[in-house]
Amino acid sequence: MSTTEGFKRHGNHSYIAEFASSEKEVLLNLCEQIIELLAERIDHGQEDPLAAMVGITSHDSPPEDEVLHRLLPNAYADQVDASEFRRYTESTLRAKKQANAISMRIHLKSSDDGIIDLDHDSANAWLGAINDIRLALGVRLKVENNSNEHLELLSPDDPLRGVYAVYTWMGWLQETLLSALIDDADDDESNIKI
Amino acid sequence: MVKIADKVEEEIRAIFSGDTPWVTIVWDDPVNLQTYVVYVFMELFNYSKARATELMLQVHNDGKAIVSSGTREEMEHDVARLHEYGLWATLQRGDQL
Repeated sequence: MSTTEGFKRHGNHSYIAEFASSEKEVLLNLCEQIIELLAERIDHGQEDPLAAMVGITSHDSPPEDEVLHRLLPNAYADQVDASEFRRYTESTLRAKKQANAISMRIHLKSSDDGIIDLDHDSANAWLGAINDIRLALGVRLKVENNSNEHLELLSPDDPLRGVYAVYTWMGWLQETLLSALIDDADDDESNIKI
Repeated sequence: MVKIADKVEEEIRAIFSGDTPWVTIVWDDPVNLQTYVVYVFMELFNYSKARATELMLQVHNDGKAIVSSGTREEMEHDVARLHEYGLWATLQRGDQL
């Protein structure tokens, strides 16, 4: 599926990838779906404008949708603590995830030649957005720890086969960005002995 | 060396605050790449690559690992940051493990 070589580090803290227009379309489409999905969770029922302004939502139970639940998980095993924490933090978490996907979308939209050039902060935004996309696809594909035989053996006309191909490709793309970033981190700590 | 220093710091904090330390736990997840988990630990906690890798392997092999400890507020902050990165994390009292 891939014609891009993924991300490579150039000079100091610059991470560059070049995408074919078909690859760019796939990435844009995925970003937009994550943005839309997260928007479903925006709290329209919030009646107290002050609470809304400081980010308190009336959501005190986790999303019913499995994907949204994975993106906005509980912070406590205890349900009472989990609900309380969610009321005060979920909208911030959702906004950060949306901001990552929107940042990725803007980079893609504003690149006419398919070249994406990221600094450290935008590389982190991309990493987060790619990861959320992978989490979403992984939940739908029912990815498991040890064996993904049910995905490897999908018949050629099964639409999930294409989804699995995209999932695998996103993992590869994320891995290229990570190696570029971790090279950097290695340099930063090159004088530290463990 | 890093491990001992962390422990000592934690003990001292517990003595002065009288508080039971809370812990942040990261749970194993079939989707997150190992390299990604290592990167997030380095980025969020300033852990060395070796320490981050050790914790990632503990998550992978044992199903979970304690990645930080401190006051409840500090752990809530850590969990929120880990959720931003898409890691599956929870916090709890350290004496209820």
